[in-house]
Formats: sequence, structure tokens, C-alpha cells
Amino acid sequence: MSKEITHWLDDLLAEIEGIVVRRKSSRRVRVDVPADALPALLELLQGRAGYIHLSAISCVDWIKEDEFELVYHVWSYESHSLVSAHIRIAREPGVYLSVYDLYQPAAFFERDIHEMYGIHFEGSPNMEKFILTEWDGPPPMRKEFDSEAYINEHLSWQNYNPEWLQELVAEGGGVIIPPEEQRFSQKKK
Amino acid sequence: MGSIKQIPVVEAKRTNPLARVFDDLVRFCRSRSLFILHYCTGCGAIELPPAMTSRFDMERLGIQPMVSPRQADILLITGYVSIKTLKRVILTYEQMGSPKYVIGICSCTVNGGMYWQSYATAKKLDEYMPVDLYIAGCMPRPEAVIAGLQQLMDKIHSGEASSWEDYYRNYDYYLGNQQKLFGEDWQTPTDVISEAKHYDLLSEGTLGDHTRLLEQHQKPLEALEMRLGHEQEEPAK
Ligand code: SF4
Repeated sequence: MSKEITHWLDDLLAEIEGIVVRRKSSRRVRVDVPADALPALLELLQGRAGYIHLSAISCVDWIKEDEFELVYHVWSYESHSLVSAHIRIAREPGVYLSVYDLYQPAAFFERDIHEMYGIHFEGSPNMEKFILTEWDGPPPMRKEFDSEAYINEHLSWQNYNPEWLQELVAEGGGVIIPPEEQRFSQKKK
Repeated sequence: MGSIKQIPVVEAKRTNPLARVFDDLVRFCRSRSLFILHYCTGCGAIELPPAMTSRFDMERLGIQPMVSPRQADILLITGYVSIKTLKRVILTYEQMGSPKYVIGICSCTVNGGMYWQSYATAKKLDEYMPVDLYIAGCMPRPEAVIAGLQQLMDKIHSGEASSWEDYYRNYDYYLGNQQKLFGEDWQTPTDVISEAKHYDLLSEGTLGDHTRLLEQHQKPLEALEMRLGHEQEEPAK
């Protein structure tokens, strides 16, 4: 039966313009679509192919290409298969449409992505802070955010010091980390 | 009746020659009945259930989990502390009655561990509160946890475990680090300076620039608003 569904899915997907379908395995399909075709695709998948479960939206920051990639993973309980729809949007201004009206769980995913990457989703019910409620820096998952520079500025931390371990080693335990294997950023240049 | 302030306070003086013996007895008893408040901040917490339950059985050392900070003796920080959590950890620590001890389990509490590069976690716990003992490892096995607790018991018995006094003596230093991380208007509900006076531990390091900053920003505390669920609605008829 699953064969039938996949053929049928191919016909359905062919209705969308500019679509690239890649079959990753018998139950995984990757599709790349232009950003403006995504709502139509999701509507098709949900309304006519039974992909009723939006299990995640993930985001990748391609800083060199100046783009964000958004991946919508939708699952069908009937054919037990996953369709991942990839789109690319411009990094600036980083605005996209919400799919909340199609899949309500999108509200949480979009809120999370907004917080971590600063992408604004138009029509999403809530774009407030989600987990980082006490964070007022830039969205931390963007590639231009330099985590190491941030901690060097705001926090003090220490390298492992092999001397600490000498006591332990004397008792017959512990591991000594030779200087060449210590953390790179603290190594004396 | 006069107000409570007019009752003269008599300074207790240690004149009893048996005081030392008595102190030793008190410390012995104290080290044999410890209640831990385990603030399970990170993944290291997963080693606590086996340490507590029948396999390794912490209770044979007289150590038991406790539900509230007011009644607990040991604060167990089990892993990385995010900056958001650190605020809660400090609130909890300050609410515990003295003498209190802090154990940092996991490498993450020592120096940041594998999250050393993360923007979200505090790296060195002992900058924000005095730590009696670290149990390093990612994550330490229950044997190590038990060995660490035994070490703490010895330290309490010998009187070495007095880091809680350090919090009062050097409050300015700890507050300074907290303010650096949380912002200048950081404030906790506990009046640490008065407590330091109460324990007779006020010293040079207690007051300083940072406590002055605290005084400037301090807002009088208000009772928390009581709310049940969402907005109270009329019950359906
Ligand atoms: S030291 Fe390892 S086990 Fe412990 S909190 Fe850090 S990452 Fe987790």
C-alpha cells in the first residue's frame, strides 16, 4: 500500500512550481521549494496527503550565502513517512510568513526560532521571549554571535590545570592533560 | 510593655571550660545528620538516585534528601548552572539556615566543563557562592559522590567546613560577581548584611562598593501576589 501512496504523493508534489523532490529513503522525502510556494505545499500535504503533524521547524544560518534555511518537517500517520520541506529566505530583513493557521504547533517553533535567530514570522500569535527570558544580548544562534568572545568578556573561566590532579595521581588515580592537549583559546601563543 | 527593641541583648561569652568539648560534640552530631537539598541543575543529577537509593544508600551515612531550603544543610549543585538558574540557586542558598555547605558536583561547576564556551552558563560556581567541596567528573560516579560526602563529613567534624562564614565575611566580593553577571539592580530577598551582624561575622569584606550599589538600587520587598491558575473565573453553573 505504501507504494501507492508515494506515487500519489509524487503526482501531488508535481503540482507545485519550482519544486525539487529528493527521495532520501523509503519513508523520507526531501523537497526544496521557493519560499513563496511553501504555504501552498503545506496546505496540499496537510489537506490532501494526510501530513497532519508538523513535528519541527528547524533553522540553519548560512552566513556566507547571506541566507537562512528553514526546514518544515511534516509527518503522516497514514503512510508513516516524513516530508522535509526546505526553503531559503534572505538573512536581511529575516522575515517570513507564519504557518500557524495551518499547523498550530508552529507557534512554539516560530517563537523559538525568533528568539534564537531573530527571524520574524508574520502572523505568528506570539513573538515574545520564550526560554531566554533573562537574556538581552543578540539572538545567540546567529553565526555572527561570537560565543567565545562573549564569555571572555562577561565570565571568567579557567582551564584544567594538571597541577590539581597531582594529588589524585599520587593516590593512583586521575589523568594528566599535557599542555598540547589543553584548550586552544587559553594556550599561550 | 515596651517595644521589643528595648529588651537588652546580653552578649553571650564563652566562659565554660567545657565549651570546647561541647563544640566538638556538636560538630560530631552535625556531621552525622545532614540533609541535602539537591538542586538538580544539570545532567550530573542522574547519578544521585543510585547514590540515594538501595545500591549505594546515602542514608547509612545519615544523609537524606530534604524538600525545603530552610531545613537543609547541604546544597548540592549537580552540574552546569545556567545564568538564569544561578539566580535561583543564590536565592535558595541565601534562604538556607547556617551552618550550610555547598557541594559542586560535576566538572561544569568547577570551570564550565564542556559548556565552557556557552553564553548561557556560569563557569565557576565559587565566584558566586562559597563552595566547600567539588566532586569533579563528567559525571562523577555514585562512589565518588559518596566519597565526597564522607570528606565533607570529616571536614565538618574537624571544623574546616566553614565556607558559609566566608559568604558573610566577603559578601561584597560575591555580590560584586553577582552584579557583574545579573546587572546592577540585582537584589535578593535576604538581608545578608543583617544576618552577618547576627552571626557576628561582619568584617572588612562584608561591606564595600558593591553593597553600596545594592543599597542604591534596593527596592522594598513586597509580598508575592497570590494567584491560582489563570484569571479567576466565575464557576460554571
Ligand atoms: S560535567 Fe558533564 S555530566 Fe556534569 S553537568 Fe557538565 S556535562 Fe553534564
